[in-house]
Formats: sequence, C-alpha cells, structure tokens
Amino acid sequence: MVGLVGGGGWRVGDDAAGGGGGGAVAAGAAAAAEAEHMRRLHSHAPGEHQCSSALVKHIKAPVHLVWSLVRSFDQPQRYKPFVSRCVVRGGDLEIGSVREVNVKTGLPATTSTERLELLDDDEHILSVKFVGGDHRLRNYSSIVTVHPESIDGRPGTLVIESFVVDVPDGNTKDETCYFVEAVIKCNLTSLAEVSERLAVQSPTSPLEQ
Amino acid sequence: MSMAEVCCDSAVVVGAEAEARARARAGRRRRAGVEGAGRWNATATAAGVAAEEAATRKRRASGGEAGLVVVAKRHGAASVAGRRREMEDAVSLREAFAAPANGEVAAARCDFYGVFDGHGCSHVADACRERMHELVAEEMGAGSPAAAAREPASWTETMERSFARMDAEVIAGCRAESGSCRCEGQKCDHVGSTAVVAVVEESRVVVANCGDSRAVLCRGGAPVQLSSDHKPDRPDELERIEAAGGRVIFWEGARVLGVLAMSRSIGDAYLKPYVTAVPEVTVTGRSDFDECLILASDGLWDVVSNEAACEVAQSCLRRGRQRWCAEAAAVLTKLALARRSSDNISVVVVDLRRGNAL
Repeated sequence: MVGLVGGGGWRVGDDAAGGGGGGAVAAGAAAAAEAEHMRRLHSHAPGEHQCSSALVKHIKAPVHLVWSLVRSFDQPQRYKPFVSRCVVRGGDLEIGSVREVNVKTGLPATTSTERLELLDDDEHILSVKFVGGDHRLRNYSSIVTVHPESIDGRPGTLVIESFVVDVPDGNTKDETCYFVEAVIKCNLTSLAEVSERLAVQSPTSPLEQ
Repeated sequence: MSMAEVCCDSAVVVGAEAEARARARAGRRRRAGVEGAGRWNATATAAGVAAEEAATRKRRASGGEAGLVVVAKRHGAASVAGRRREMEDAVSLREAFAAPANGEVAAARCDFYGVFDGHGCSHVADACRERMHELVAEEMGAGSPAAAAREPASWTETMERSFARMDAEVIAGCRAESGSCRCEGQKCDHVGSTAVVAVVEESRVVVANCGDSRAVLCRGGAPVQLSSDHKPDRPDELERIEAAGGRVIFWEGARVLGVLAMSRSIGDAYLKPYVTAVPEVTVTGRSDFDECLILASDGLWDVVSNEAACEVAQSCLRRGRQRWCAEAAAVLTKLALARRSSDNISVVVVDLRRGNAL
C-alpha cells in the first residue's frame, strides 16, 4: 500500500492511464486531460522564495464519494492520517471559515489554523490557506480538484492537489517541496484507501455519478 | 540545583510552581474530557511486588535453588504524560518472563524490561507492552540452548525475530480492528513506537533497541550506554535511508522525509523501507561494580545526560532504602519535568548489584 516508495505515478502525466491497460492513445488522452485541468485550475504564481508543485492520484471510487471526503473542510480527519482533531470557529461552514487543526504526535507541528478560500461543488474545487499554527509552512496555499475518469472501464476519480508555500530559512526549495509532497502523498494515499473502502461498502448506480 | 538536592528532597524539584502547573494540567485534562486515570503511572506496582514475592516463596519452597538465583530482584518505574495531552509511552516489567522448561535449572531465569515511546497514537506502544516479552520468550525457546548459554550472535537473531514479529503484528492488527484507541483503522499505518528492551540474565545484560529511547548501565557511578539512538542523521542510518531511496530533511531536526524524527521504529508502515524495525543488540557482561540499568524514553534523555542520570541513581542507592530503584525512577522523572521536558517521560530502573538476591 505504501504510496511513498518509488517516485512514479505522482507527477502530472506520469501514469495518466491510472489503473493501466489503456494503451498509449488512451494514456495520451488522459495526460492531455490532466494538463488541461492543471492549466485551468492549478495555476500558482510562486514568488522567488516560494516553491510550488502538484501531485495526482487515481482512485478506484466514483467522484461523488471522493468529493464528499475532500469537501468536508470541517472534518479533514476523515481521511488525513496526521490530523487528530479539527474544530471550525463559529460553527458555520462558508467561504472564509477558519478551522483549528490538531496534528498527531511525532510530526514537526502540533496545530495549524487554516482558512477556507474556495469550495465549488459544481467544479469540485477546494482551496485552503494556512493562516497560523506552530509549523514552518508560511503562506501555504493549496488547491484540490477531483475529476471523473474511467479506470479499467469502471467509474474512477482523478485527484489533483497543488500548493505554493514560502521556503523557510535553513531549507532549500527542493527540500521544502519534497517535505510537502511527502505529506500530500500520505493524504492522497489515505484518501484513496478510505474512498475505495467506502465504494466497496456502498456500491452506487451509474446514475449517481 | 545539585543532584544531591534532587535526591535528598524531591520536593525541591517539584516545588510550588511545578505543583501549580500540575494542577493546571489536571484542570485542562478534565476540561478536555481526557480520561487521564492518574497522571502518574508509577509502576513499582503492587502486582509486580506480589509476583516477586510469590516467585521468592516458590523458590524457597522448592529448596536448594535459592543460591543460584542472583538476578536483579528489585526494580522501579515511573511513567508520566508530562506536558503532553496524550500519554503514548508504555513500560513493561516482567520478572522471570521466560519460565524455564521442565528439567532446566533456575539459573536460566531472566527478567524482561521494556520502554516503548509511541507516536501518532498509543496503540503500538501498548501492543509492545502487552506482547513483546511473550514474543521474546517464544523466540528464546525456539529450539535454542538455554538462555545463559547463548552466544551473543544468537541473542541478536532472537531479538531481530522478536522485533520483526512485533512489527508484523501491529501492522496486521491495525488493519484487522479499529480498537479502543483514538485513531481509526485506516490511519494505523501512520502510527509507531520506539522499543528499548532489556533481558537481564545472571551474568549478562542483553539490550535490543529500535528508535530513540535509550538504555544506560550505571557502573561505579559512571554511565555505560548500552544502546545507540536511531536518529535519521546518524551517518550510517542516513546512508541506509538514502540507499533505500529515501531522504532525510532537516525540518525541526533531522527527519525521514522531513516527517519522522527517528530512523527505526515498530509500526510506521507508511515509511517502510526507510524506517525499519530491525533492532541493534548489545550483550554486556555484568560486573561487581554495576549499580543499575536505566531504560527511558527521550522525554528523560532530552533534558538529562547519561552522567546526571547515573548520579541521581547512585544518590538514591546511597540513601539505603529498600526500594531505591523506584525512588530513582521517580526522582529522574521529576527532574525531567523540572527541566521542562516537553514529552511523555518514562523511566525504568533495575537493580544490578551483586549479592542483593535473597
């Protein structure tokens, strides 16, 4: 299960055929679709002392299931393995809402304060900005989008997560990107496991997608 | 504050300020609804003492064997959450844990001690407390000679097999059940624990370590470190991690992938193969100058040096009380708290003096 080993499959266009078996033409088409999503929805403009990157994950579960997990700004612990607790200030969930996230032990953070920037249920876009916390990710901003795709002829989901963040003193751009990517890979691997388990438990009709 | 002060009057260490902090902590914990049944989990336990007395009675009753039993008969431990909300340390104290098979002499008796410092959740450390000694006992018995006759290399294999089985159990167990702990099943791959384990034989101390907890032998008042911390920037560990395709990034200290601040652990499936459960094993002959063995989590070692820990233990020994090991464990824990250790703190102290057997 460990999605962190090796390096293939995470970059945009790396293995666009997802579950495989699509052949070169289908892979090319999927890669083109990924590139189009990237251009349209994941354009960051990193400054000189910032780094930016994007990761993709193919999930064998229908898009509505994956989106239901991704969109729950108030419950990131539903899939994020390093979150122990989350409370949304004020209670109501709307653009500008702020969540206080508690991080599990053993990590280089214990809390994070994060603001909801964008939640688009039509286009399936979630954007979050870090506004505080005892971690080293300053001006961190992320965009997650989910897109329907076919994996081995079954309904699947393409997830793209991109970010931009300041490079902290004492680290290089490369190190900063590597660390953030490692955490996002954990999150996306876990998102896939939770989604795929839900998909098995509650098979849905094609109409619901 | 000198070591003597610490030892002679532990109230000096605790003090009004520390007590106020403890009350504030207790209040926070109550408000947070954490079931913190006792911030102190002092383990000079009644159960342990009862077991020891029963064992002593048994030896007396069977007669003729008492002279052969010279392994440590006293120990103490203290384990506290400290300034953390969560308690994720666990300690294991198992006297005569590997019962001699029929026909073997009681000289084969040996005791097991372990400290496990969990991260991500408590359940891996808890599993180690419940199972590690059983696995070591099983592996000791697996067709090999009596413990006392073991070659050091044989001990290394025994410990490596035990740790590998422990690691496999926690990884499999997590997926099978989302049990009583705080975390949910699908996130168990991101939970782990250190393990420092000592088997105290009549003439040797065997230490197996995985992670950044530590074992220190106090010999003539001076420390002899019996384990080597598994930090990601230890040159040989760094080399191993990079050879496996991983990276070590300095992100609030050296961390594997920038995430985990130790290079070996039980669990942590998501960081395999960079983070491994293979222990390093030392086999050390006991000497007439040995006073005690200290096993502790980094909650102690981050703020108390090996030398200072041995001084504290020796001071407690010199006070001459029967339960000095338990005192030493408690004083060391209080010292770490007074020095504002930010972590859970667990300390096990085992009496290694010759001739203290009945």
